[in-house]
Amino acid sequence: MRNNRLAWLYLVGGLVGLAAATALTLEKLAKLADPSYVPTCSLNPVISCGSVMDSPQAEAFGFPNPLIGVAAFAVVTTVGAAMLAGFTPPRWFRLGMQAGTTFGVVFVHWLITASLYDIHALCPYCMVVWAVTIPLFWYTTLDTLRTSERTRAAGDALAGFHSTVLATWYAVIVILVLIVFWDYWSTLL
Amino acid sequence: MARKSRTAQKRGPSANVIATVAVVVLAVAVIGGVLLFNRSDDDNGGGGGGGTGSGSIPAELRTEPDSNTLTEASDGTVTVVEFLDYQCPACAAYYANVTKKLETDYAEEITFVTRDFPLAMHPLARQAAQAARAAAAQGKYREMYHQLYDNYEQWAVAPGGQELSDDAQQAATFFDSYATEIGLDLDRFHTDMTSAATGRRIDADVAAGEKVGVSSTPTIFVNGAKLEPEGETYGDVDRQLRGMIDEALGR
Repeated sequence: MRNNRLAWLYLVGGLVGLAAATALTLEKLAKLADPSYVPTCSLNPVISCGSVMDSPQAEAFGFPNPLIGVAAFAVVTTVGAAMLAGFTPPRWFRLGMQAGTTFGVVFVHWLITASLYDIHALCPYCMVVWAVTIPLFWYTTLDTLRTSERTRAAGDALAGFHSTVLATWYAVIVILVLIVFWDYWSTLL
Repeated sequence: MARKSRTAQKRGPSANVIATVAVVVLAVAVIGGVLLFNRSDDDNGGGGGGGTGSGSIPAELRTEPDSNTLTEASDGTVTVVEFLDYQCPACAAYYANVTKKLETDYAEEITFVTRDFPLAMHPLARQAAQAARAAAAQGKYREMYHQLYDNYEQWAVAPGGQELSDDAQQAATFFDSYATEIGLDLDRFHTDMTSAATGRRIDADVAAGEKVGVSSTPTIFVNGAKLEPEGETYGDVDRQLRGMIDEALGR
């Protein structure tokens, strides 16, 4: 039962992340073909994929970040589908998922920091990736904790407040976004 | 394990749900509360901004200690305040046709203050305002103001000349070259551009503009009275503005 829920999260979260990463890749390609191209998600100086995509942080490893997303979210989606088809991942496989989602969540928070405090712009597709990576990491972590004897008690305790942690996590990010772009939001009122 | 998790499931979820709802409600309440509070604050201020009679010029339309000034009058009786956006095409046109000459012609007679009013529709406006503020921090506001408007076509307009540029990196390179040209310390310039203090000053100008009803740029006030352009050409605007200033100077 618990595995089934995680499988659905992988499948749906993976697909959503894959869609966002694909959109970003396509925007990047369009922009490379025509430097004056304005991405569909560049609405104004604050909501601006263009300025985020053009930042040095958008190519953290020397190539556009969304390529990582396309590869990684495809794996997450596939794992979710395989689990729904009856595959029970062995421990080493779960640890692999843990490593992958941990990398993802750290990377995403580095990007959030860059977006808010260096680039001063938000990119909607990137925010979709933020939003799915956090639960993917969180529920994978709970699963990892609960499948090992030594950490099961801690895992169960945290699982008792799984959505509280998630909601708090989201709320902190939402509030940080509101604070940074305060004057922009307040002009919308 | 089976027993443990069953009891946990019986009590756990409800505590979890309660806590989750509490977090969400708290977040919404805090955000909503701040928004409402801010809004009513603005409303209160708006009433005071209405008076434009020469006797009661609102503070927003006067010189303040940290104002960006282009000229300073020795007696300080006439203050022209322009709310501007460095990337706004109309502001650039005003600069070329009206305010650049005004600045030299009335150099000793008026205090010419500019206030930042970067509009959301101009992608590089805020960055340019930051550059101007950072230059001001080194005492070279006027020089940077001229660099930004004299080189408007270079940094603000996209290749082809039809649309506004949104190339922040390219603009940053140009701003650096302007900073070098007017002799700024580049490291300090970079730090000041992105400092919280710079951001606050720009935000304060925008808030001041909103208080006195500015909604587009350029908006110019002479001793608190708003210039409402009546003519069709920049020549007409120029004459009208000079008329207002001359009147204020008692000519």
